[in-house]
Amino acid sequence: MPELPKIPSVSEMMALASDYMPFIPKPAPRYVSEAGKPVHGIIAQFSKTPAVVHAAERVRDAGYTKWDVMTPFPIHGMEESMGIKRTILPAIAAGAAITGVAGALAMQFFMNSDYNIVVQGKPFLAWEPFTPITFELGILVTAFTCLFGMLALNGLPRFHHPLFARDRFLSVSDDTFFICIEASDPNFDPARTRALLESVGAESIELVEDEDR
Amino acid sequence: MSQTQAPATSIPIPERETPRAYLTEAQWRKRLDKLAAHPAMRHDNIHLPEGATTKLSGLLLIAGAAALVITILGAFAINARHALAAFEVGLFTCVAMSLGALFLTMVFHSLNAGWTSTVRRQFENVASLLPVCWVMLLGVVLIEVLGGGILLTWLSEEMAGDHLLEQKSPFLNVGFFGVRFLIYGLVWLVLSQIMVRTSLKQDETGQRGLTRVMRFNSGWGLLVFALTTAFFAFDFLMALDFRFFSTMWGVYFFASAALASVSVVVLVLAVLKGMGRLTGAVTEEHFHDLGKLILSFTVFWAYIAFSQYFLIWYSNIPEETAWYVYRTGEGGYKALFLVLAFGHFVAPFCILLFRKVKRITGLLAFMAAYMIAMTVADMIWIVRPMVYVGEHASENPGVWGGIWLDAAGIVAPLCIWGFFLVRAVGASPLIPLKDPMLHEALAHKNYV
Repeated sequence: MPELPKIPSVSEMMALASDYMPFIPKPAPRYVSEAGKPVHGIIAQFSKTPAVVHAAERVRDAGYTKWDVMTPFPIHGMEESMGIKRTILPAIAAGAAITGVAGALAMQFFMNSDYNIVVQGKPFLAWEPFTPITFELGILVTAFTCLFGMLALNGLPRFHHPLFARDRFLSVSDDTFFICIEASDPNFDPARTRALLESVGAESIELVEDEDR
Repeated sequence: MSQTQAPATSIPIPERETPRAYLTEAQWRKRLDKLAAHPAMRHDNIHLPEGATTKLSGLLLIAGAAALVITILGAFAINARHALAAFEVGLFTCVAMSLGALFLTMVFHSLNAGWTSTVRRQFENVASLLPVCWVMLLGVVLIEVLGGGILLTWLSEEMAGDHLLEQKSPFLNVGFFGVRFLIYGLVWLVLSQIMVRTSLKQDETGQRGLTRVMRFNSGWGLLVFALTTAFFAFDFLMALDFRFFSTMWGVYFFASAALASVSVVVLVLAVLKGMGRLTGAVTEEHFHDLGKLILSFTVFWAYIAFSQYFLIWYSNIPEETAWYVYRTGEGGYKALFLVLAFGHFVAPFCILLFRKVKRITGLLAFMAAYMIAMTVADMIWIVRPMVYVGEHASENPGVWGGIWLDAAGIVAPLCIWGFFLVRAVGASPLIPLKDPMLHEALAHKNYV
């Protein structure tokens, strides 16, 4: 079984909500840049696939949890290099499927038991005509849950991401790999994180600022 | 002088090597050498030792022959209809497994599926038994035709005046039936031989082009496969009750065929893994994917079986409905119907959903054996109710009467078929040795 994700604390949920709702105040930043803006994190640039894979392994082993690798194409095996656990989505989908099937059966049962109509001389509450509706509703609920559950687990949709403000970052969709360690990571320390990224062979390292509101 | 003339001192374009979509022959030979040095390609890892299969194949042959003798005795002791029906149940399961394996071999070729390279040889071995199946079918056809319609009642004299049969006589007549039967045999022989022999030839010569030969033949092969499978199912299974018709029948048989063939290949691979072969060549990743195929064809079978039943249930046309009345009515067939609904779909669906089940070889092998048993149960449900109908109802020995004859009749063709399968597995390398996509299969991994 995949490990259950940790339930976020109230402050974490408020921070998440503040991304979507401007009237919710942003939490005070842990670190502030020289320009006085909140620090999003540190990005490191790589130009070779093996380099970024090995760097990710080192960052994983250093115990960081809030970080990500950005690549122009999928790299097989990156999940293991990043230490990402299996997703909880299948279990959520199974729950949705059971809900959909049970809901469809209950709906048809109550509709047909309270309001009997003879159709083509078929028996009341026959399982045959129930089956397609049960199947379709099960699929519908599961498919929507999978899609929106996947988006929610990925933290999507969102209006803006601080990384998009960096011109250098735009080449991530072309030929460059980036590792970004976020300032909200409990292990984050400006000097030590920078030193780690330098030691894993980053070609350039930059501080990424978040937008003030 | 023209203004547009190019200046004489244009920048020289550097000479580049023409980009190639394919490896050169030298590069290809180099890759083959590299492949041969792969730890999974050790000779004893991908070959069975000489004579390793003789014991098992001998056992199967003796068991098959004994069961066949018992079936023939049973034909006289109980009656010929019962014996023939039991034999057909086993035989149709064999045909289903071989046809499904031929189908999947051609699908793997036409989809250019890299991960299947190491498991494809076993699909080829199962498909190569189609001529054996055809010869056994020939025996059934001869008994039916010479016996004047034993289970295929449309062949009998008594039905000559039947209005529905007269309407169907352009299709259901002995001459055309014989021609169709010969066409099935020819198509299955040609297709299975192309797939098997070309693959074996590639083992020796290492010609890459042979893969393209197989891919080309898979294209038209899939089309004629679909037609021959559907019409085989019409002629041998649907025609057991000539009044019944269902345009979905071909797909229904095909669903069983695809399911049973993946299951039997999983069993063969699991046995080979148990003998310490195929280390690194067929891993839990391959079993995971084969398990996914079993799961999907389980769902597909249920989808087709229900759709067929549902339409007939709704429209309630007598000649169609009668078919289900026999099979959900008296004689224990209602119980078998429920066993199929829950045992062939609900239970395996819920079990095979779990990732772990598909990745543990022993568990998946058990599920594969179980699905073959369920396919046999499906064939029993199709064939067996037609034995004691109409004027023969009084001869009915009951559900458990003559169960020994059912068992022997079902086991006989399966054992004979198994004898040829075990021989085929022992006779060739366990994986294609020089497949162009072998490196993909050796490094195969599921990233989910």
